[in-house]
Amino acid sequence: MSAAREMLCDTARAVFAEAATAGIAPVEEAGFALLLVPEGDGGFGGDWGDVNAVLQIAGVAVPDLPVAALIAGEALQPAAIVSLMAGAMGKALALSIEHVNTRQQFGRPLGKFQAVQQSLAVIACEVRAVEAAAAALAARLDAVELDAAAADFEIAAAKLRANRAVGVVTAIAHQVHGAIGFTAEYELNRVTIPLMRWRGEHGNDAYWAAKLGRQVAGFGGRGLWEALTAR
Amino acid sequence: MQGFALYPFDPPGDVAALRAELRAWLAVNQPQGDIVARANCWASFDADFSRALGAAGYVGMTLPKQYGGGDRHPLERYVVIEELLAAGAPVGAHWIADRQTGPLILRYGSEDQRQRYLPGIAKGELYACIGLSEPGAGSDLAAVRTTARETAEGWRINGQKIWTTGAHFSHIMLALVRTEEGSERNAGLSQLLIDLDTPGITIRPIIDMAGNHDFNEVFFDDVLVPHGTLVGMRGQGWQQVTAELGLERSGPERYLSSQALLAALIDAAGAEPDPAVAVLIGELTAEMWTLRQLSMSTAAKLAAGEDPMVEASVVKELGNAFEQDMPRRVQAIVDCPWGDPGDLGRLLRALLIASPSFSLRGGTREVIRGIIARGLGLR
Repeated sequence: MSAAREMLCDTARAVFAEAATAGIAPVEEAGFALLLVPEGDGGFGGDWGDVNAVLQIAGVAVPDLPVAALIAGEALQPAAIVSLMAGAMGKALALSIEHVNTRQQFGRPLGKFQAVQQSLAVIACEVRAVEAAAAALAARLDAVELDAAAADFEIAAAKLRANRAVGVVTAIAHQVHGAIGFTAEYELNRVTIPLMRWRGEHGNDAYWAAKLGRQVAGFGGRGLWEALTAR
Repeated sequence: MQGFALYPFDPPGDVAALRAELRAWLAVNQPQGDIVARANCWASFDADFSRALGAAGYVGMTLPKQYGGGDRHPLERYVVIEELLAAGAPVGAHWIADRQTGPLILRYGSEDQRQRYLPGIAKGELYACIGLSEPGAGSDLAAVRTTARETAEGWRINGQKIWTTGAHFSHIMLALVRTEEGSERNAGLSQLLIDLDTPGITIRPIIDMAGNHDFNEVFFDDVLVPHGTLVGMRGQGWQQVTAELGLERSGPERYLSSQALLAALIDAAGAEPDPAVAVLIGELTAEMWTLRQLSMSTAAKLAAGEDPMVEASVVKELGNAFEQDMPRRVQAIVDCPWGDPGDLGRLLRALLIASPSFSLRGGTREVIRGIIARGLGLR
């Protein structure tokens, strides 16, 4: 990651931590609304790679605040949600790893049981897939200068892939946590409930699958490969 | 694993031109045979095609020119490979030699071994197989018992390999054997490069459930091979094999085996697909697009000299699940009788039958998930 983006992420972590109790005001005051505004117009001059990084942090720290709407317009909201989802899934995985390495049953940490290891490997794959989808979507959006129409294929594919990961990630994260993960107090629900919500927002699975499927049908069998490799 | 970035896939030169060049070459040279051979095509044997591909410079691409290679960048090879697989080209004959045996000989082999084998590999004429599994050593590879004892004349090999893909048409086997008497587990193992016409080697077919002869049993009965067959360091076989598996697990073949079926499904659906079929096409496309990003990122990391063992395992796990799931999901949605003579029906049947092997070859799903769990710090 570039030094500028790392600084941006550090700022985002600090500001979102404050916003977690204070609400959206610190995010507005820190100027996140100007993230995508060109430097010549007094903005930060960031790209979607920056937005992806910032929203992954927001997805964990302030999933209920309208940070995505502050940064990007309506047409880019599905893309923004993919980044929020990637961040939240990463957190669900991290919490799960920490829990199974700490919690002991039958005289050893849960993470030493093969059944638990295999389950966590499954979520790790899903999380990595969604992170990759978010990053590839960011690369496409930056290549087409944030023209959502020109990135329609990638937006559909990434949101659909992220949606499809939600069921697996939330189910396994809760399963390996046991009862503690089902409490209001423990922090897992602060990412899993938003994940359940985001799956249905800005297009559920059926919406994007039908849209993408019709687009690909228009390409034809060989045309799909040609389209994939031309973008 | 970190969440914000993909490793940049940035081959040198003009990638679009390379794709166009290869597609034009395939248009002329790809055999217009049975559509079923286009599925799982890295298991389709065609010696003439391999030779032609080698002559055109698309085999051994990354090997140095002095050994007959193309001196190309690994990511240029990646582009060529994904084009060949997406087209369903029959690359099975030279596949293993090109993908891993050639690079391994270049990395660990002696000068004599390089000169002897690499030019044939780059021509697409010299085929290799991998001698890893044994009857008592499948997922537990460290249980290998085939021995090679050093004598004045050379190495004397006794034992048995099994599930050896392509042994019946290969010229050489890169075998993992126990060279140190009394050694256990992953210590005391070495790699030997064995000419398969050496006396004392017996190769017997194992017919798979699709009726194909793909893998074999290979018996070594007091087989004598020269000292010069040792590859790399004596006793370092385990480390060398582990490095080789990185090459084996993350390539585009881990998600493109069922590509011919997806193309046939799309063509059969037409421009105005039934809503349920459109949804299926959309879901499969989203998965394939995502897998391609992961695979390219992993290839780029590998090309940069890093060891993406965990990432490679993620590609294999997700890719296998995808290509294995695809025929099942197509069957669940599309009304297609078992004996259907059309392209879609025949591809579907062939892939339903072939697909159990996808999460077995190259490391079982359970082993791969274990590697990922280790990467997460659980083991």
